[in-house]
Amino acid sequence: MLEIGLSHYLVLAAIMFTLGVFGIFLNRKNVIIIMMSIELILLAVNINLVAFSAHLGDMVGQVFALFVLTVAAGEAAIGLAILVVYFRNRGTIAVEDIRIMKG
Amino acid sequence: MPLATLPTLTPALPEIFLAIASMLLLMLGVFSSEENNTRTVSYASVLVLIVAIPFVGLVTEGRTVTFGGAFVTDTFAVYIKALVLVSAATAIIMSKDYLKIQGIERFEFPVLIVLATLGMMMMISANDLIALYLGLELQSLSLYVIASFQRDSARSAEAGLKYFVLGALASGLLLYGMSMIYGFAGTTSFDTLANIFHDAHGHVSVGVIVGIVFMLAGLAFKVSAVPFHMWTPDVYEGAPTPVTALFAVAPKIAAMGLFIRVMVGPFGELGAQWQQIIIFISVASMLLGAFAAINQTNIKRLMAYSSIGHMGYALIGLAVAGTAGDAALQALGVQSMLIYLGIYMFMNIGTFACILLMKRDGRMVEGIDDLAGLSKSNPGLAMILSIFMFSMAGIPPLAGFLGKLYVFQAAIQAELYALAVIGVLASVVGAYYYIRIIKVMYFDDPVDELDRGISLEMKAILVVTGVVIVFFVFYPVPLLTGAESATAALFHK
Amino acid sequence: MIIQGLAFYMFAAITVAAGVMVISARNPVHSVLFLILAFFNSAGLFVLMGAEFLAMILVVVYVGAVAVLFMFVVMMLDISLAEMRAGFLQYLPLGAMIGFVLVMELGIIGGSWVIADNVDKNFVAPIVAMKTTNTEALGNMLYTHYVYYFQAAGMILLVAMIGAIVLTHRKRPDARKQNIGDQVSRHPSDTLEIKKVSSGSGV
Repeated sequence: MLEIGLSHYLVLAAIMFTLGVFGIFLNRKNVIIIMMSIELILLAVNINLVAFSAHLGDMVGQVFALFVLTVAAGEAAIGLAILVVYFRNRGTIAVEDIRIMKG
Repeated sequence: MPLATLPTLTPALPEIFLAIASMLLLMLGVFSSEENNTRTVSYASVLVLIVAIPFVGLVTEGRTVTFGGAFVTDTFAVYIKALVLVSAATAIIMSKDYLKIQGIERFEFPVLIVLATLGMMMMISANDLIALYLGLELQSLSLYVIASFQRDSARSAEAGLKYFVLGALASGLLLYGMSMIYGFAGTTSFDTLANIFHDAHGHVSVGVIVGIVFMLAGLAFKVSAVPFHMWTPDVYEGAPTPVTALFAVAPKIAAMGLFIRVMVGPFGELGAQWQQIIIFISVASMLLGAFAAINQTNIKRLMAYSSIGHMGYALIGLAVAGTAGDAALQALGVQSMLIYLGIYMFMNIGTFACILLMKRDGRMVEGIDDLAGLSKSNPGLAMILSIFMFSMAGIPPLAGFLGKLYVFQAAIQAELYALAVIGVLASVVGAYYYIRIIKVMYFDDPVDELDRGISLEMKAILVVTGVVIVFFVFYPVPLLTGAESATAALFHK
Repeated sequence: MIIQGLAFYMFAAITVAAGVMVISARNPVHSVLFLILAFFNSAGLFVLMGAEFLAMILVVVYVGAVAVLFMFVVMMLDISLAEMRAGFLQYLPLGAMIGFVLVMELGIIGGSWVIADNVDKNFVAPIVAMKTTNTEALGNMLYTHYVYYFQAAGMILLVAMIGAIVLTHRKRPDARKQNIGDQVSRHPSDTLEIKKVSSGSGV
């Protein structure tokens, strides 16, 4: 039980990934929470990559995780900028209101 | 510690050129006078993209790998990159008047398109999972921004927000899949992956298959194939029209190129695992593209469903390429798909040029009803738009018909008869709504006239694309040989 | 070994709990704080796995920059909390069921992970061969073998910068800005006048 192996980390990453996906689809009220859910998904990916890297004994996984972190930071900046633009136009960020266009 | 040897830079010359040029363009925009710096930067960006084409064409044959195997240049990359560069350059040309009318003339717009193009070229040349991811994100981040570029419009902001949220989710899925592939194989290089799966003879663990499925989902989102298409109509409608014109062509073609590169390259031996999925999304996209478009009143929305349908037809080629073990058949599938994409580019650029000319009293309109009576007020435009619509519908002898013919033939050769039959049925249904536009233009009572003036650039774009569509049947050789040599690069290791 | 195991379970449990709170907290500010907690504990997990540099980056970049950016935006947008989350429970049962199935499937796959035969020969950078610290090893690879990715990441950050400025920067002609050039080039003789005031006569 206290012998921690690869599968422990993979299960943890699976839970975090599901929480992220769950957060995106369940959330009806607030887009910021959706963006945080995306961060959770990327965190799950990083846990996966680092766990594989450590288990296999290969550095590339960590390099990959480093770039995922970098891109995620840029993505967060762009996402929040778009959100600010949206808020200035509509005065709300509720998910239910994002439906001017339909059909 | 010895200094690392410098990697060969020549294969990546077009990318390096674009990267440096984009920074210079940025400086040009900042340091030139404020009144017409958008115009200056736009022309300079078009020039940069056009100059990049001969750089791309430096590769005539063979396959060159550089940066430790992360970056590959071959004739396949050349073909797709040429299409992407042409469509990005035309998108900038077409945006010039639109930006002025909407009051969003800012020089960052063309620069962001150049940066997005750089991302597309990087992902087309990706030969490694990390390179793929970085190229894809460079493209996506630039596109998120230009989708919401008209920042005083709620619709544009909403389009950007939807595109961003779903795009980021797709990237997450893609990454999760990639991490699983890495965890199985211990490598991110496409070449090594291909060797591993070749040695495995199609027997791989569940983890790898789930990883491939996640990657497929992420890529399907980028080409807006059903069931990952939900964002497409809203983003197409809400984004500024030149941006829609760009979205409909350049990123689609680039993502399709990436799709081929990934599926035929590292996962080529696992065709048995993914062919079924591609068949499903192809059928679903063709049907949705045909049926959902019927009731549309907004022409940009209609084009969104149309592009979903066209991606479905193109994916038939990929489904054929999934026939594991038969290299000739695989090559046929890829080749038909490349021809289809080439024709798709010309049809879409032409159609969007027409849509961008739909102005009334100096304001943009985008309803299908607004086209009523166009044949009387502007017969030339009506005629050329009819040509594009007939071609999209697949009426012989126009280019769109030939494109469909090639993919259906490939499907029949691979004995995927269901795909070919559903494809034909979907084109018949699709023909209804394309021809409805022609009916509106020629037989409906005219409403208020649309503005007449057509700028020289737009005229040139319309004439060139129109000529290509009409006369393709007489002289298809350039596109065919291009597609053939592009395919050859993928199947001769 | 036992301490390692206990540490894993502590970090993992807090990460998951914080993740649950991120998506279910009523107040977005709390969500951001729980996100920070999740990042901190994942950093702990990274240390357990020997990825020290990434652990530090996670704290510095994620907690220090990204989470704070989220916090700024949450505060700036001034969302009324009363109307938040009203419809959350409506989708919960179905969502929880789907989520549970997804976790089980991914968990089973993760629990019985298979690695390719002779995986060692695929490695570009085996850790065993490196006689350096984690940070040094990463740096050695990043600036040599992976210089292409490094440059590509630079372009992505450039796009993020341009994008954020294009979308949110507004020219405000009425704003009073500091112009250092003007300040420095001011000369005392332009603005100051020294008057001799003789005593007893007033100014």
